[in-house]
Amino acid sequence: MKSKAVEIENFTKKFGDFTAVDNLNLDIYENEVFGLLGPNGSGKTTTLLTIATVYKPTSGDIYVYGHSVTREDYVVRKLVGIAFQDPKAMWIDKPYELLTWHARIVGYSSSEAKKVVQDVMELLGLWEHRNKQFYQLSGGTRKKVELAKVLIQKPRVAILDEPTAQVDVLSKHALWDVIKKLRDEGTTVIIATNDMFEAEKVCERIAIIYKGKLRALGTISELKDSIPSGDLVEVQFEGGGIPEGLLRALRDIGRVEARSSVLKVYVEKGEEKVIDIIELFRRYNVKILRIMVKEPTLDDVFTYITGAKLREES
Amino acid sequence: MRNPSFTSNIRSILLVASWDLMKLKNQKVFLAMRVAWFTLQVLVFARAISFIVSQSILEYTGGVDYYYFYLLGIYTSLIYSTSISRGYVIADEFDDGIVEYHLSLPIKRGVFAVGRVLGSSLSTIIFTLPMMIVVYVILGVSNLFSIIVSLISALVFSIGVVSFVLLLVFSVKSTDLTDILVGAIDALLVRLSTVFYPLPVIEASGIAPYYVIALMNPISNLADFLRILVFPEYYMVFKYGVAPIVVYMVAFSMGLLVLAVEYYERKLEAGGWK
Ligand SMILES: Nc1ncnc2c1ncn2[C@@H]1O[C@H](COP(=O)(O)OP(=O)(O)O)[C@@H](O)[C@H]1O
Ligand SMILES: [Mg+2]
Repeated sequence: MKSKAVEIENFTKKFGDFTAVDNLNLDIYENEVFGLLGPNGSGKTTTLLTIATVYKPTSGDIYVYGHSVTREDYVVRKLVGIAFQDPKAMWIDKPYELLTWHARIVGYSSSEAKKVVQDVMELLGLWEHRNKQFYQLSGGTRKKVELAKVLIQKPRVAILDEPTAQVDVLSKHALWDVIKKLRDEGTTVIIATNDMFEAEKVCERIAIIYKGKLRALGTISELKDSIPSGDLVEVQFEGGGIPEGLLRALRDIGRVEARSSVLKVYVEKGEEKVIDIIELFRRYNVKILRIMVKEPTLDDVFTYITGAKLREES
Repeated sequence: MRNPSFTSNIRSILLVASWDLMKLKNQKVFLAMRVAWFTLQVLVFARAISFIVSQSILEYTGGVDYYYFYLLGIYTSLIYSTSISRGYVIADEFDDGIVEYHLSLPIKRGVFAVGRVLGSSLSTIIFTLPMMIVVYVILGVSNLFSIIVSLISALVFSIGVVSFVLLLVFSVKSTDLTDILVGAIDALLVRLSTVFYPLPVIEASGIAPYYVIALMNPISNLADFLRILVFPEYYMVFKYGVAPIVVYMVAFSMGLLVLAVEYYERKLEAGGWK
């Protein structure tokens, strides 16, 4: 049994008459990278801000290491750090000053604060921007300042709300490494994203939420396997044709499309079936030149589950 | 015996208070303008007014020259206006989501409230320090005791006003409404106080609500307290002595501070800013 870092129990949040999150139930395990995946307006930020005790639940409760966000908010805040979706700074603020204040507030002494702030800023490539004012910084740099707060704090539970939005592609990969390292050092990481590539790259388990409701939950491969016949095994083989017996045997495994030298089999759990397929080809003495298992993307999963697209086409 | 949670609360309060002090240096130009304007007001306009009013009012001020009376009045109204203008700062922060950031920090809500109020009122005192120097130089005050007591009483007063404006801003959660209410309260309360006229004059006007509001007005109480500190003879104006003023000021500030702390602990939540 993995121990739970965060338990979301019947959590509902309303803004006036509008229900932003509707009876959400979810457990996040200690030391995993957990993803909340959903398009804009799904209720990701609302959920994250409630875990961070910035919002109060309308009903239900959320527990962080067993501590209720409604009754023990201070204890929860000592366990949680958050990098907001919209960087929190006034246009005139300077990153170094802001982060030093942050470091002091989360408990560092004055000299420790100087050191940790410099270390984290150098790690994220922020050091050269330390004394610029916020309005002079690019969107991506602002997001990095936001992430720096969490890296400085090293909380038990790190909440990252769309951490790489507006960040350039090269930096994205570097930030994903930083996030994984944070997890390796013992932090539980919760990420909200509408970027399926990011979700695949860093998240171990994912909750798909849409219009305030939980639609699916599981590891990435569990989610992909939840689509019936979602995998595709593609075989390139030698010679001009396939023996009738092999074709019949393959049809027992999945739906088959055969062309002159390429054969496609639509199956569930492609990574398991591929072994059977290889075995069949060997038995019928057909030489495989190339074989590939293509999984559905998280986009496919999302569309299958909600009937909607993860990102609106722009 | 040191209580560790007590010392850690004090540390947190001071750190939170340093947020506002950190921002203070962004206001250098604004401050220079305020000092210039204030000096002009004090040296030119205040003199003109006191030239008109001076003789007839002496019997109501215990013999204190109206110009001096008025100087401490406008210094008080400056502390008041600067304190209440912290409302705009907080509103701006709410607008930019800083309130969400602050609420996410590992600090007890009540401790955060105290730190925030203290930071804002200390900023007010520091911001108005040059103006205080102008006034006290003109008045020729060199008694260190009365200067220190003046500063402390100004701080206590500012704590009350800042707590009030925090409660106001968080209750209305709207930039427009904050602008309107803060502006109105600022303008109105200064006029309904003893900034310009001593209490007996207001009483003699025969307008009862004006007198009652001026009597209960914290601005009056601070202005008169500062006057008594500098001109002991002004003490003559007060039927009930100075103790009620001190008690009232402390009760006003601590009462509002407690309300602000309660609000932070029980009700305050981010979001919903209009
Ligand atoms: N403070 C608020 N007041 C009113 N509505 C809000 C507030 N915050 C979020 N919402 C609404 O709740 C829904 C969910 O928003 P959010 O949690 O930000 O979604 P996401 O982060 O998935 O994009 C949206 O429709 C949004 O407009
Ligand atoms: Mg969001």
